[in-house]
Amino acid sequence: MSASTGGMNSSIQPYPLLRSLYQPVAAFEELSRGEPNPLAVFLRYSLWLLLLPPAFALIGGANFGWRVGAQQPLFLPPGELWLISAGYFLVLVFGLFSTALISRWMAATYAANASFGRHLALITIVGEPLAAASVAHLFPDVLVQVLVLIPTAIWSMRLLYMGIPIALETPPERGMLMASSLLAWLLVAVVSLLGVSMTLWVMGTGPLLGV
Amino acid sequence: MEAANDKVYHDNVVIRLIQFSVIWALVAMLGGVWLAAELIWPGLDFGQYWLSYGRLRPLHTNGVIFGFGVSALMATAFYSVQRTSHAPLFLPRLAWFCCCAWQLIVLLGGLSLLAGYNTSKEYAELEWPFDIAIAIVWVCFAVVFFGTIAVRRIRPIYISNWFYGALIIVIAMLHIVNSLALPVSPMRSYSLFAGAQDAVVQWWYGHNAVGFLLTGGFLGMLYYFLPKHAGRPIWSYRLSVLAFWAFVYSYIWAGPHHLHYNSVPEWVQSLGMVMSVVLLAPSWATMVNGIMTVSTAWEKLRTDPALKFIVLSLAFYGLATFEGPMMSIRSVNVVSHFTDWTIGHVHSGALGWNAMITYGTFYFMAPRLVGGELYSSRLANLHFWLALGGTMLYIVSMWAAGVSQGLLWLSVDEIGELSFDFRDIMASMAPYYILRLVAGMVFLAGTMLMAYNLYMTVRGRPAQRVTPPAVAPAYGVSR
Repeated sequence: MSASTGGMNSSIQPYPLLRSLYQPVAAFEELSRGEPNPLAVFLRYSLWLLLLPPAFALIGGANFGWRVGAQQPLFLPPGELWLISAGYFLVLVFGLFSTALISRWMAATYAANASFGRHLALITIVGEPLAAASVAHLFPDVLVQVLVLIPTAIWSMRLLYMGIPIALETPPERGMLMASSLLAWLLVAVVSLLGVSMTLWVMGTGPLLGV
Repeated sequence: MEAANDKVYHDNVVIRLIQFSVIWALVAMLGGVWLAAELIWPGLDFGQYWLSYGRLRPLHTNGVIFGFGVSALMATAFYSVQRTSHAPLFLPRLAWFCCCAWQLIVLLGGLSLLAGYNTSKEYAELEWPFDIAIAIVWVCFAVVFFGTIAVRRIRPIYISNWFYGALIIVIAMLHIVNSLALPVSPMRSYSLFAGAQDAVVQWWYGHNAVGFLLTGGFLGMLYYFLPKHAGRPIWSYRLSVLAFWAFVYSYIWAGPHHLHYNSVPEWVQSLGMVMSVVLLAPSWATMVNGIMTVSTAWEKLRTDPALKFIVLSLAFYGLATFEGPMMSIRSVNVVSHFTDWTIGHVHSGALGWNAMITYGTFYFMAPRLVGGELYSSRLANLHFWLALGGTMLYIVSMWAAGVSQGLLWLSVDEIGELSFDFRDIMASMAPYYILRLVAGMVFLAGTMLMAYNLYMTVRGRPAQRVTPPAVAPAYGVSR
């Protein structure tokens, strides 16, 4: 959606999404001028971004194995790799929608815009650097992931704190509070992912553990 | 003169406790950074026993918990109990005794740890003479605190005092029971408990020290200082009271989750696990109460850099109180236990929750205590970002290290043999330990900025003379 079209457009163009990588303020301002359709946002943009991490993980895991610190990489059977990648994708989809829903739920408290499409687009933009950086999954060494994803996560956090006041039209101070509340949720979501992974490993999905 | 003094809050002791707390934070965090470096370069002990990891580590934990943490809790308890009771401290000289004797215990206790005197009980490493001294000072702390409440001029006892009160009572109980020992020399003793009983008592103490000191005590701090920062009452007082009773009831059972897959009965382990998961409810009730309180005071963020620390401390409180119950689930614990994930979890609480809320509180208190302005809001803002960056880097690097360790240690081949060598696994952790060292240095740098900022704020200024305000007749206590 360009600035000239303005008003209550029902979708956003790919340009602002890509632009968010190098001109985030302008991208968020553009987002604030429309009411994008949530389904369109998901099917046109979020879905494809969410497919990247599992796809890279699948390719990397099959070709190089997971290097978790020891010399020998851990190779998993193809069936399990597919299963884990499918699970990864579903978790990301769940993460996107749950975060967008929680964000919209918080909107009333922080006097932010309540358009679900905007929240979904905002969370998509915030997650965009992480989706792009998931190219690191092609070489699945845990340390490489940490070194690539920590700075990327900081970038995403910056987008979250910067984007909420602009895209959701709330004062910067309220935006800061809302971003911090969402950060709490995201931290919990990440640590939940670790816990669920541990449980699945212990139950027999993934690497062979002597438990 | 004596009569006039009786009507003025005793805040000099509060200022001194804040200063001691900041000094211990610097010393103990520097110890932590040194320990992090030793895990990468073991030669940093220079062959000195007192610099070895085994002796420096308890100094770090005791320095942070008892030096930094308890001094901050005493300072904030003395500050807030006077203001919520509308009465000066009961027996102010005893409050000074608590302040000075506590610092002496931390100092001499720390030196005894460096000298190698250690009971081998985690977070209760100090030997029996110190245990007795701690019990005496703690009882004096109780006398001052509950004495002030007893002579209060306002009928309701505010919720922060309930949490501080629980801290004082439960820590006394835990410390005395867990420290029961038979002395065999001036600096050596044997615990009265043995075997599995010793382990159960130790983790009943250990986990509830986390619960009632690092959680309950700091919740007292939150419930007083957050509404003060925000300039509004707590969002739901009823929820805070509900959370208090749920918290004190459920926390005390959770200790056995430290002993999963150990030589204690399985039902004890399961009970600890279930009660740990139940704990999520009161913990998050408080988090929601805090977030909703601050959400109505957003405009304060424009002028109060300290409020950011408290907002973020709530986010990390939410994380740590979710992560803890999750890690107590046996199928998660079997992988996470004995790994650096546990260290990451502890630091998400200690740095993200305890230190952040304390920093926010000190930035609030220091200018008010001396009747001035904070020396530099810019330094406080810079400190905020250093604290956030350091904490995030610390916990993420420890998550990665911990998950890798758990996976590698438990991996077996087709015939059930362990796949990886312990030494190889530990050698591969060096990059994560470097990240952790950087994180610690960043966090310590922020704390140094705060120390300078607070020093410049209170330098050369005596405590302001503050008198208790009048109490509305409907809430007053008739004496």
